[in-house]
Amino acid sequence: MNNLLKFTTGIFLTLAVAWLAFVVGARIQFGDLTPISESLDEDNEIPEDADLFPMPQPGLAELGSSEYLALGCSTCHTQQVRMVEAGFDVERGWGQRPSMARDYIYQKHVMLGNTRIGPDLTNLGTRILDTEWLHKHLFEPQAVVPESVCPPSPFLYEQQEFSSDHTIELFDEENNSSRFLAPSSRATRIVAYLQSLKQDYELPEMAFIEEPEAIDLEDLSTSDSDLATNGMDLESSALPTWLSQQITSGKEIYSKASPGGGMCVACHQPNGQGLPGAFPPLAGSDWVLGDKDRLIKISIHGLQGEIAVNGEKYVGVMQGFGQPLASPLDDQQIADVLTYIRNEWGNSVSSISPEEVKAVRDSEKDRELTSMWTAAELDNHNN
Amino acid sequence: MKENSEQVIDKSLKLAVCFFIASAGLWLLAAAFFAYIASAKLTDPFFLSSFELFTYGKIKLAQANAFVYGWGGNSIFAVTLWIVARLAQAEARGKVLLLFAGSIWNLAITFGLLGILDGHMTPHEMLEMPVEVWPALFLSYGIIATLIIVVHRSRRIKNTIAPQWFLLASLLWFPMLFLIAWNGLELNAARGTVQSVLSMWFGQNVIWLWLTPVALGSAYYIIPAILGRPIDKYYLAVFGFWCIASLAPWSVVHHLEGGPVPMWIPAIGTVMSIAMIFPIAVASTNFHATAFQDINKVWNSLPLRFVIFGTLSYTISSYIGVVFSLPAVAKITQFSIINEFHFNQRVYGFFSMIIFGMVYHMLPRITGNEIAKSAKSFHFWTSAFGVLILLLAYLIGGLTHGVLAQQPSLNWASSVISSVKPYFLITEFAFIVLGFSQLVFVINVWKAIIPSPFELLYKLNLIKKGATS
Repeated sequence: MNNLLKFTTGIFLTLAVAWLAFVVGARIQFGDLTPISESLDEDNEIPEDADLFPMPQPGLAELGSSEYLALGCSTCHTQQVRMVEAGFDVERGWGQRPSMARDYIYQKHVMLGNTRIGPDLTNLGTRILDTEWLHKHLFEPQAVVPESVCPPSPFLYEQQEFSSDHTIELFDEENNSSRFLAPSSRATRIVAYLQSLKQDYELPEMAFIEEPEAIDLEDLSTSDSDLATNGMDLESSALPTWLSQQITSGKEIYSKASPGGGMCVACHQPNGQGLPGAFPPLAGSDWVLGDKDRLIKISIHGLQGEIAVNGEKYVGVMQGFGQPLASPLDDQQIADVLTYIRNEWGNSVSSISPEEVKAVRDSEKDRELTSMWTAAELDNHNN
Repeated sequence: MKENSEQVIDKSLKLAVCFFIASAGLWLLAAAFFAYIASAKLTDPFFLSSFELFTYGKIKLAQANAFVYGWGGNSIFAVTLWIVARLAQAEARGKVLLLFAGSIWNLAITFGLLGILDGHMTPHEMLEMPVEVWPALFLSYGIIATLIIVVHRSRRIKNTIAPQWFLLASLLWFPMLFLIAWNGLELNAARGTVQSVLSMWFGQNVIWLWLTPVALGSAYYIIPAILGRPIDKYYLAVFGFWCIASLAPWSVVHHLEGGPVPMWIPAIGTVMSIAMIFPIAVASTNFHATAFQDINKVWNSLPLRFVIFGTLSYTISSYIGVVFSLPAVAKITQFSIINEFHFNQRVYGFFSMIIFGMVYHMLPRITGNEIAKSAKSFHFWTSAFGVLILLLAYLIGGLTHGVLAQQPSLNWASSVISSVKPYFLITEFAFIVLGFSQLVFVINVWKAIIPSPFELLYKLNLIKKGATS
């Protein structure tokens, strides 16, 4: 240790061994991954005409990734869905499968991140479909997620008094007034980048952990039947025991996001407000407070396509909970959760009984459980 | 005679060491300022939100870089130069060159931080400053390191001792790490997550192989020097040194647990992190077995009190670090604010506390000006209190954050992060306390270096006599 040259060689070698493994070794092992099809054929070859994944980032999104980096977003947001045994990222709904090294080969800046003060953004593009929501969140996160600690970026927008073609309306409930935001080109790039974030394909080395939500189902049956409603209005303020039991049980189903529960909370949120632009609210919703049968049908079979809730348009898919999931909800459970959402967040209308659910089930027994309703179909039914 | 030669050496070092300590102090204040803004933004997201210069992400990175390269870099130069020269019993060479290179280093960091605030950062850990400033940083580092090695090579006693190994190794490791990272990230840029492995490897190694050895080397120097007794079980030190040299570069990648990289990478990292208990045990045995033989003297000497606070913090928090690298625990805490705990305990609780002690030991010897005991004592207590509050908030807050994040049914913003918010408030308070504490430190340092600023200005003919009277 007295000879400086030998000493330097020694400490260089200890460092170099680790360098060889982590840097040179890693590079040899996965430094030249190429895009691949979702699955391979019997000969472990890429099938002809198969789409290759990951796809390159769109140009606008790549520009956006530089803006995202420049604002320092990756300080609080990771972009990696961990292995199932290393954390509950998949259960939380942050991805259908863990992220793999191959997913990142086209990214200009790889920003895996190491702290999650904000949620993981690996699959933001599959979670939030609404551009306006993203713009609102970028301008003032608290306008769409009240508890957020994410700092606003008003410097990316020009605020206007009046709406024009490209402006976004931001409604202020306290003052009952609206502001109009004109996004800058940087804001547009960032939103394009955020929407490009999705690992919604399988890879030969990693399949989806949970079944993805069915999006296109062909056989939408159109069986018609009329139902007798045996609604019973409850006006008393002191709830009878059976009703409060139903509400308590319903709340549990509503909030439980794991299989066996309703998972309602994941989209409609604990406050029943949904996510503006993406998931419709339940609080004060004309769909929840209105026709019971329509509500029961949606709960059993699901709903897809465009709907209008209190005048606002939403496009999305909601899975039915009568269909054979891991553990479908039975009549009692559906009745409980519907009674809960009809009597929470200021909602206060009649309860729904298991018999009513059973009646709808029986009347629709010809309809396949996986066949979701559309708004048009439900309208026809009622007329 | 010996006293005399030490004075000659100190005199030769005065200009350069004072320059580095004075600049280090200013960077420490800059980092404290950034730390406060960042923590305030977490408690109130609207704080300064209309200024693009101050987005949370950028301020946070500016803080880390000002801390590591500004405060850390300058104080490493000062401490290493002084201890190496003292142990070599040799005078410093190339004083003007040292000042020149030091100025370049500081200018480059200034531009680098402005670059980060202007949005020109790179996505690579601890290499966030824009690519343009790195050649200047590397060059100035090269000049300073060469001049320190020149002093070491002209030493009178051929045998080297523990402080010299740690200080020289740190001096040499940084350029090696930098060249490896620069090659893999800029010159022959790797694709995809290979980049992430390399950038994490570099970022963590800057802490483990650059800051840590300097603090350990300083402790190996100052504890026997003040106590006047040899290091207990000194024969273990060489084992401890080579353990750190061979294990630390492997252990740092365990943060990638479960991530999109081949599994062997975090797996090796975890195993090596657990093996780190050996060098940690060696250092803590050496330091504490020696210090506790004469605990009164440790308590009464403020420099030593700082240093022992640092070594105790090193021991305790390194063991906590080992526990948090176990996969079962890492699963919970991996992406939580516990990362802030690890960073702050290493750079504040350990590195900075030891450097504070070293500076209080060196400065009076170099400048001949004593620093008031009450001022040092105030600095110690506020620092110790601030660090303790900060680390506890990050530790408990990090556990809360991690445990709640593992429950998929809890809403992210309204349940998980809302539960961590109180801890953000505590860290804001802790950063205010630490900011005051560091201001006192900087005033102490500047007063020792320039006891009467007005007299200096007369001498330099910058102001006329009588202007202040």
